[in-house]
Amino acid sequence: MSTLGQLVLSGIFIGGIYALMSIGLTLIFGVLRIVNFAHGEFLMLGMYGAWAITQLLGLNPYIAAIAIVPAMFLFGAIVHQLIVRPGLDKPHLVVVFATMGLSIFMQNVALMIMTADLWDVPPIFNQSVAIGPFYFKAELLLGFAVTMVCTLLLQWLIRTTYLGKAIRATVQDGEAAMLMGIPVPRIFLITFAGGSALVGLAACIMMPLFSVFPTVGLNFVLIAFVIVVLGGMGSIEGALLGGICIGVVQSLSSYYVAPAYGQMFYFILFLLVMIFRPNGLLGQKGAATIGIND
Amino acid sequence: MSVGVTHQSSGRRALPFFPRRGTPVSVIEILLLVVCVALTVVGLPQSLQDVAVLTFLWAGLALAWNIAGGYAGLISFGHAAFFGVGAYTSTILFVQAGVTPWIGIWCGAVVAGVFGALLALICARLRGPFLILSTLAAAEVVRIGALNWASLTGGPEGLSIPPVAAFTSMVFASKAAYVVMMLLFLLGVYAVTKFLEGSRYGYYLFSVRDDADAASAAGVNPLVVRTVAMALSAGLTGIGGSLFAQYFLYLDPTFVISPELSFQFALLAAVGGLGTAIGPVLGSFLITPMSELLRSYLGSQAAGLHLVIYSALLIVVMLYFPGGIAGALARLASRRDKP
Amino acid sequence: MTAILTVDNVSHRFGSLWAVRDVSFSVERGELLGLIGPNGAGKSTLYNLIAGALIPTKGEIVFDGLKVSHWKSYRIARVGIARTFQIPKPYRQLTVVENVMLTAFQQESSVSRARALAIETLADVGLSDYIDVPVNALTVGLLKRLEVARALAMRPKLVLFDEIMAGLTPTEVSTMTKFVGGLPARGITVIWVEHVLYAIMKTASRIMVLNRGELIANGEPAKVARDPAVVKAYLGEEMNLA
Repeated sequence: MSTLGQLVLSGIFIGGIYALMSIGLTLIFGVLRIVNFAHGEFLMLGMYGAWAITQLLGLNPYIAAIAIVPAMFLFGAIVHQLIVRPGLDKPHLVVVFATMGLSIFMQNVALMIMTADLWDVPPIFNQSVAIGPFYFKAELLLGFAVTMVCTLLLQWLIRTTYLGKAIRATVQDGEAAMLMGIPVPRIFLITFAGGSALVGLAACIMMPLFSVFPTVGLNFVLIAFVIVVLGGMGSIEGALLGGICIGVVQSLSSYYVAPAYGQMFYFILFLLVMIFRPNGLLGQKGAATIGIND
Repeated sequence: MSVGVTHQSSGRRALPFFPRRGTPVSVIEILLLVVCVALTVVGLPQSLQDVAVLTFLWAGLALAWNIAGGYAGLISFGHAAFFGVGAYTSTILFVQAGVTPWIGIWCGAVVAGVFGALLALICARLRGPFLILSTLAAAEVVRIGALNWASLTGGPEGLSIPPVAAFTSMVFASKAAYVVMMLLFLLGVYAVTKFLEGSRYGYYLFSVRDDADAASAAGVNPLVVRTVAMALSAGLTGIGGSLFAQYFLYLDPTFVISPELSFQFALLAAVGGLGTAIGPVLGSFLITPMSELLRSYLGSQAAGLHLVIYSALLIVVMLYFPGGIAGALARLASRRDKP
Repeated sequence: MTAILTVDNVSHRFGSLWAVRDVSFSVERGELLGLIGPNGAGKSTLYNLIAGALIPTKGEIVFDGLKVSHWKSYRIARVGIARTFQIPKPYRQLTVVENVMLTAFQQESSVSRARALAIETLADVGLSDYIDVPVNALTVGLLKRLEVARALAMRPKLVLFDEIMAGLTPTEVSTMTKFVGGLPARGITVIWVEHVLYAIMKTASRIMVLNRGELIANGEPAKVARDPAVVKAYLGEEMNLA
């Protein structure tokens, strides 16, 4: 029984971290109605950055976040202006292929510069924290804490600030938002850049827990997609809920079921959600079937 | 983004220069055919034969992908699953049951076609990125299944075909024979594509792609049209997979059912020109040789450099030439035709 | 003459909003029936219900003896109901003639004969000059005429026109009015939603008025025009429409 408890709790914690990684994706999905297929590579970039700062300056990834988050914001803004924006008024497959292209580009540039080796950061806290009868790595708990704080902060921002309301309006109906005077192109830019910054933050808290290598993005982006569709496009609470679900599913399945099949679970889960609840657990009705830029 | 548009030709030309939807043949197509046949018959130096084999094969596969992605509007990043299913079916039948691949590839096509129809039904109501992600997920399920069902597929160790040359086992001693085989595959898929594009069913495909509601109001059943398109696309992809197995003589799920391979089919079709017959061919003819040559000259020195180049190329082409090479050339050609 | 279409107590709800409420009417073969009403009255919803794009929450629709309330739109199209869309929905990567060929395929299975039928239909609506033009080069007015051509190429038994006059010049309005007016003689029953009242007044044998989802008038054009309820629905005050 205590194994089950340990598994479920660690699943929840890691799930929270996965959620942080996915919030950017779901916001971009909800506001711009596009999928950034390079999302995993943004994560990879953030992780390499966190690693580099840690190794070169002798700091730790959490402190590195101070530099990484704004850097990723800037990177996201550049990618948006150069690659996403020109594709927005064209058939949606343009953005799909362009971001796919960016994904492959980034993976291979990383391969050329950093080689295929796995890089890690040295452990920061050399201890496990006890919660009741269970033990967790301090980095895991810290990561989860950061996620919760971040999510609450985002929720507060979305609900109280003008920017937040503008974002919610654009998610609901971009055209109407524009007619209401909301500067939708600027909202797009801020959302994309902000989503990238969030991925950067996620990268920093994930660096102590995972190794970085050029294709690390692929593993996590698929998880992120599943989380986003589970939770519903554009929903932050949905991403959190979805993340926790996935974390628990992963934790349980890798212990009770052969690890090889573990990954297959999310894909099947994804397909089931697509068939039966395409709008996710908390998403807008009709989002998946009415379609994007159709 | 439409290319090959039939426009009013006030002066009667014997043959259009550039391919157009509806006209069976054009100058460019004849030229390309002549060049390909000549290269195949005259014979290429050993080193280039591999390149030719792959160029023709990927061209055929890009064309097959295009039936779903370009004509039906069902952008799939999971077609490697059909490739793998076709390849494994014919190989398992041959290696374990002694069935000659000449029959096995058709079995593979049918199985792949069934998978395709299933995928279309699963994704029936999905659009845009949701459809794409679902195809990705479905392909991954197939890959992981193949990787783990060792008793059937040989698992991570893969399956080999004994390199014993014999016509009945579709294993050839000379590379030149493979070049011919792949060229025939390409011509076959090209013929299917051209036939489709000028047929009533082809129009149904385009209508469902462009506006499914309007198509429905015109009496077209979008679900049936999409399912048949996906099944056809999958079946042809499966044949390509089987032919690849006969050439490469080794199957391994990590390569054969990979997202990278799926993406390659889509990339070649998109860069070449979606929704046209000549587009995917041009895409492969341009990119495959470049890729193979880069890979052999640079080797492991700059692992990934060739991918860096094409992904950059892809980004530029998609943003500035969404009609691909074929689209750009068609625009040039139509400007030439104007008085 | 038997009714070709019977709409029986049809209601449709979107969420908590009843867009169409207890609408009942029938259309005789060969009639030209006008359907008018202020914006938001439920005319497009009614069309979607008849054409199969929506399934009515309540009520029955019978076409040519067939109970079609739950049929999908492609099935309904195949038994002879054609419709135009208020905001034209052309196939953007095809040419004008190819757009019409799609519906022509309901009548002719060969590509060449469908093309011939399409060209003939395009001539009927005055679009012969645009046969091989890519459809995304057309203006809205031309697209509306294309919608008409697409509907007619199906040689339908019943056609539902949805504001096909918007964007037409006065001469074009006159030509189109005469053209549509001549359809019943060709064996085509017409229901015509239109804001250009002149056209309907001239051609319709009967006019129905929809307001807030309900049918508030159903009769001869002259009578309907003087009906105070109708006037009120449109203008909110007493005025003479005819």
